[in-house]
Amino acid sequence: MLTLANLNLHYDKTAGANFRKKTGKNKRSTQVIFDLNLTINEGEKVAIIGPSGAGKSSLLHHIYQELTTHAALCSQRQSLVDNLSIYHNIFMGALARHHWLFNLVNLVRPFKQDLHDIAALCQQLELDQPLSKKVDQLSGGQRQRVALARALYQQQDIFIGDEPFSALDPLMTSRLLDTVLARHNSVIMVIHDRALAMSAFDRVIALDKGRLILDSQQQNIDQEQITALYQTSAIA
Amino acid sequence: MSQPKQLQQIPPLKNPQYALGYWQKVTLSIWLIALIVLPFADIEIVNFDPFLELTRMVEGLITPDFFATEYLWQAIMQTVNFAIIGVCLGLVLGAPLALIYQHPLISSCCAFLRAIHEIFWALLFLQVFGLSPLTGILAISVPFAATFARVFHDIINQSSDSPLESIDSRADMISRFTYGKIAQVMPQLMSYTRYRFECALRSSAVLGFIGMPTLGFYMETAFRQGNYSEGAALLMIFIALIGTIRYWCPPKLLGVYLVIACVTLIDIPDINSSLLVRFITHDILPPAIANAATLAEVQWSSLTAWFSDLLSEQAIPGAIATITLALLALAATHFISLSAHMMASKHLWPTPLTWLGRFTLLMGRSVPEYILAFIFLMLLGPSMLPAIIALAIHNGCVIAYLAVKQSNAIAPQEMQISRLNQFNYHIMPTIYPSMMALMFYRFEIIVRETAVFGILGIMTLGFYIDSNFSEIRYSNALMLITCTALLNVAIDIISRRLLKFEQTSQVSC
Repeated sequence: MLTLANLNLHYDKTAGANFRKKTGKNKRSTQVIFDLNLTINEGEKVAIIGPSGAGKSSLLHHIYQELTTHAALCSQRQSLVDNLSIYHNIFMGALARHHWLFNLVNLVRPFKQDLHDIAALCQQLELDQPLSKKVDQLSGGQRQRVALARALYQQQDIFIGDEPFSALDPLMTSRLLDTVLARHNSVIMVIHDRALAMSAFDRVIALDKGRLILDSQQQNIDQEQITALYQTSAIA
Repeated sequence: MSQPKQLQQIPPLKNPQYALGYWQKVTLSIWLIALIVLPFADIEIVNFDPFLELTRMVEGLITPDFFATEYLWQAIMQTVNFAIIGVCLGLVLGAPLALIYQHPLISSCCAFLRAIHEIFWALLFLQVFGLSPLTGILAISVPFAATFARVFHDIINQSSDSPLESIDSRADMISRFTYGKIAQVMPQLMSYTRYRFECALRSSAVLGFIGMPTLGFYMETAFRQGNYSEGAALLMIFIALIGTIRYWCPPKLLGVYLVIACVTLIDIPDINSSLLVRFITHDILPPAIANAATLAEVQWSSLTAWFSDLLSEQAIPGAIATITLALLALAATHFISLSAHMMASKHLWPTPLTWLGRFTLLMGRSVPEYILAFIFLMLLGPSMLPAIIALAIHNGCVIAYLAVKQSNAIAPQEMQISRLNQFNYHIMPTIYPSMMALMFYRFEIIVRETAVFGILGIMTLGFYIDSNFSEIRYSNALMLITCTALLNVAIDIISRRLLKFEQTSQVSC
């Protein structure tokens, strides 16, 4: 599905956080990913772990750029539209499935079918708020679930998530993770809960300082190795 | 009381770190420039007995006569009609332009159209359409469309890009744009439109001064004839009309009002197409070109002579007077903003007194500069003084109104110091930079208005434009209007460069 060979990513300081260049043409950029080789096959559920600043988000966004036509992204910056209701924010996931005229009419007058679908989705994500509520009135955890629902409503094969559960409690996290895993063929997710990554995913890869240092597909790793990774990184 | 939301945002400064004494230097230079140009300005009081006139005006103010005006209801209706149809047409034309505003050709065209004041547009359209409602509507909608294009473009540009990232990239352009961008900034667009509607009402009333059947027409007649009771009543109705926009025109009813406006608009007379053709192909061309049958017959020497005469005898003296007046008005505005802010600040006075102050500010900013200048002109006679006072009062009140909003939000310091010390050491230093920034934004508006004051008899560019229109020298008038517009554009560019403020739009009327 995806093969990355000798990937180097640069983080452009001059532009916003969302601009990354593959080559170091720009002198004012810092390298975040070094010579990374990675192959992800269809149907795999991959967790990416690593200490903060290891380049996880940069790698994930790069993967999304590669797979953009059949992947749904749930970014860490939820990028919700504050002026729109929960319904419309989630409906944004379905924009590509409809004609623009349909989308415009829906903005003024929501369609029954989508209202029904989105209500069901919200129930599954334990989001018990009226759909007409504007998202700027929601709490952090609720906003995160709206962003998650929008990604799910894209109904893509591949789910790419950047810590999509960071504001939720552990029990809800594992319930929602099950939902995400069940609804997608392939999942690539940055997740900070190491134990959950080990137990719920087929494959765990660990990054540190821009390098791939652990891959459970190639070597058997255990909890100790990962703990060591976080400790050395914390010291260094 | 209406609240222009767009104006409430104190413009962000690009470099909030200013060197010590920066604002003192800026303030001093404003006053120094004003002192230097003062000897060149004509500011004597021409009226023999201003106090007699003043007493009569005050008498009129105390005894307003609301029933003196015949056709009062029609006047109010037409004022509102022009404003509503003008703003709607401006939106229809301007909003699509906002999407392609980044094109240099579009943005410079818009800057040019915007730089010509509504009254100049009206004077132009008056020659073609006569006193038809079309003149009033077009005079409002053309500059407003250009303003909408620019401000909407800025608002959309300042919105976040991040919702676009999470939308499926396969979705079509229109859906992505409406959901990701437009939906995000809809409240700003709405509140700016509401603010512009207030501006349109002011412009619409002012159009009465050149003969359109709006409130301004009856106001001018009443004041000129010395019927101050009637004039005061009309002024009060007008202030009330603007102050209560939010109650009588909620956004939901705008569509209803538009339909009513279209139905109740006085009949549009047939456009005389031969007049239009003649105006475009003959009247507005310089005499040397208009009189020549073919291009070969054009006498280039007379054309250059015409152009240089016009430039040296009218355009340049007019431009100098305009700039002189604008600079003096800037200093006076500075004075009025500071004192008006002091008057309405809750940090200095007990709350009931600040209400009085804020009411005064509302009065000051509701009356258009043009009408204020007209009233002071009746009092003091034709010189630059009435114009300076009018500009200072209107703009000073607008700035003070916004500054009070900001300063009242500042929490007082927990220190045992007197109110006056608190005000001088804590409140003023905090709000002074944004107050000054606002004032420089208003400078563009001051220049625009200054040019128009010429129609009242002050020797700025508008004076020459108006005289050329009345002498049926349309080519001269058009040339001078172009000069005025270019002057405005140039001043806008220079002041933005000099002051290094962020290019946020702060365009208003």
